[in-house]
Amino acid sequence: MTEHFSALILLMPLFGALLVTLLGRERRTACWLTALVCLAASSAFAIGNICQVLASKSGDLRYRMGGWQESAGYEVGIELRVDMLAALVVAMVVLVGFVNIIFAKTRVGSEMKDKVAFFYALKQLLIVGLCGIVMTNDAFNLYVLIEITSLTSYALIAMGNRRAALSSFNYIIMGTIGASFYLLGVGYLYIKTGTLNIDDISSVMQSGDLWAHPSIMIAFVLIMLGIWTKMAFFPLHGWLPNAYSYAPGVVGSFMAPLMTKVMVYVMLRVMLWLFGGEYVYSSGHIWGELIIWMSIIAIIAGSFLALACTDIKKMLTYLIVAEVGYMVGGAWLMDGAGILGSMYHILSDAAMTFCLFLAASIVILRTGDHRLTAFTGLFRSMPLTMTGFTVGALSMIGLPPTCGFFSKWYLISGAIEVGHWSYVAALLFSSLVNAVIFFRIIERAYFGRIEGVESLPVDADGSPPVVLDRVPYSMLLPLLMAAGSVLLVGIYNEVLAGWLRAAIPSL
Amino acid sequence: MKLFGFIAVIIVGALLLAATGDFPAWGDAGSPASQGQVSSFYIEQTINETKVPNMVTAVLADFRGYDTMFETVVIFIAGIGIIAVLRTFGDQASKAPDGPEADNDSGDLIVRTTCHMVVPLIQLFALYVIAHGHHSPGGGFQGGVMLGASYILFALACGLPAAKRRMGERRAIIIAAAGIIIYAGWGVACLLLGGNFLDYTSLDPILPGDEQMARSHSMLVVEIGVAFTVTAIMFAIYSNLSTRGRLEKGL
Repeated sequence: MTEHFSALILLMPLFGALLVTLLGRERRTACWLTALVCLAASSAFAIGNICQVLASKSGDLRYRMGGWQESAGYEVGIELRVDMLAALVVAMVVLVGFVNIIFAKTRVGSEMKDKVAFFYALKQLLIVGLCGIVMTNDAFNLYVLIEITSLTSYALIAMGNRRAALSSFNYIIMGTIGASFYLLGVGYLYIKTGTLNIDDISSVMQSGDLWAHPSIMIAFVLIMLGIWTKMAFFPLHGWLPNAYSYAPGVVGSFMAPLMTKVMVYVMLRVMLWLFGGEYVYSSGHIWGELIIWMSIIAIIAGSFLALACTDIKKMLTYLIVAEVGYMVGGAWLMDGAGILGSMYHILSDAAMTFCLFLAASIVILRTGDHRLTAFTGLFRSMPLTMTGFTVGALSMIGLPPTCGFFSKWYLISGAIEVGHWSYVAALLFSSLVNAVIFFRIIERAYFGRIEGVESLPVDADGSPPVVLDRVPYSMLLPLLMAAGSVLLVGIYNEVLAGWLRAAIPSL
Repeated sequence: MKLFGFIAVIIVGALLLAATGDFPAWGDAGSPASQGQVSSFYIEQTINETKVPNMVTAVLADFRGYDTMFETVVIFIAGIGIIAVLRTFGDQASKAPDGPEADNDSGDLIVRTTCHMVVPLIQLFALYVIAHGHHSPGGGFQGGVMLGASYILFALACGLPAAKRRMGERRAIIIAAAGIIIYAGWGVACLLLGGNFLDYTSLDPILPGDEQMARSHSMLVVEIGVAFTVTAIMFAIYSNLSTRGRLEKGL
């Protein structure tokens, strides 16, 4: 049984999604329970998976789909490969999915109306896709799963308000272009190597000494362009702000923390495992320095765009653009510490983005206002929500003991080791901008004066059980869990960094 | 903006052209993709390992069956995604008349009669394509598309309400989900009998024939699953797109 954990992580939400569609649109509570149980089981398997990776000698688990053994050293079937990085990212995906399902309970009825079952089905399929992307060791299988995540997210975003349909359409165009570039690159690799397994492609390129061939370089460039489009790396970020801010609240709060982070994981996978650090970081290429500068521009542009926003969700989405810059830059520092920072930041950025988006959704729900001015005096009326928001905000700024501090610490120490001071300056600058952005909100929430505390509008969609913050427990609890995870990932950074360091292949 | 697009197209085009010069010659039997270890294994071992003469189906449904399962899921997502976005549930859906006479309330007599004669033939051929997919060209996707097309043809000729009585929305969704349940469930059955997910040889005890024949039989089963999903989703997409999600009269 234990050897099947990696397959079971995927199968639980897959069957959950099918069951939910069979249940139909009338049985909402049953749909919710099914999704909850399936994701809880999936989370348990994901945690079991981490333990197994820790226990294994080689540091990675391999699972052959269809039981096809390799022939003459080449995989003929599709293989899953779970190392420490993959195990942690998968656990992150399913845990965020699980907590978000709890959060969705009271909101989904009013946001999705008659389409609750479709929401739960699509959401679980999105989790299937993300988990599959993280665990697969097959370049084409990765594409199929990118297709699954893309299609589900297009549909989920388009279920939002009127403006969501257009932003989803923009996302379809950009996403399809990105996925096509990736597929084209994989096609080139297949023509040159005759295999699709990531380890095998890498070993064929090594043994055949294909590094000097121009088509390999072009394949690398195409794959990178495709992945950057999907992860919204500046200036390919055009689709992201509208898509995530006009999407339904329960969708945005789930997609924002996961989608871009998983694509950063794919980039690391392609760079370090498919092509190998030796090729990617070799000094013969013009791209190394260029990409660090691009990521510096992404960090600065994302921060400025966020500073200019008056809409809370738009602002958070631009911060994601800046954070993507952090991770891309860290991965291209050509240094173990930078890569470690980039990997650790995948986890910590997911935690803090999740926390902030949940808090923002609650505030928008309670005040009915999505501008930053909505936060005026909120500490008085919604202390718990604002505590959660503050934890996420402090992590974005980078104050210890939140995880944001440690990921910046690793990234900066990596940059200092290779002497890339402009990247250090960009990170510090972005921290300062984040401080301005968030202290502006926190100050307003603490000291802002509002007239008539009791006149806050109540929820229009009936009367969910209202508590301390006049927010249902099912929304408050996920926020506090997310805030707790921001602190936990920060406090246990030594442990996580140790695990991740073992996963980095030697450069 | 147009200029920027032009420059981007020129750069990408130049990259693509540069890469083609580096490729093996057209039809080169010695190229890595034709002579690599993986292709040689498929060409030499498929018949021994799976007892299936059609290599393409063997690669699709067995060697890379995990991919194909997700391709089926992609089709499923396309269908329920379109329903989720377009479908309007409400009172405005007028009650369609019931009973066989309603079949005749729309369309031209000649078209309807021809359609009634052609549809069974299309469906019969579709079933052949599905059932024979692992021996001759064909399979679940192709057969499923044909089956779906037969329903669409029927809807075009006799009106959507008549077609809906044969393949209602709820029924389409159930069939689509059932297709993937057949596919993934077959994989889980392998898992329960002690193999890896989709390792058909572990089903040997419950299927006739030896281990290789178990692979052959299992391919048929998963192809049927694919056909279920494709059929239902084809029709669901047509009926939602053609009526803007209202599922009334339609085209």
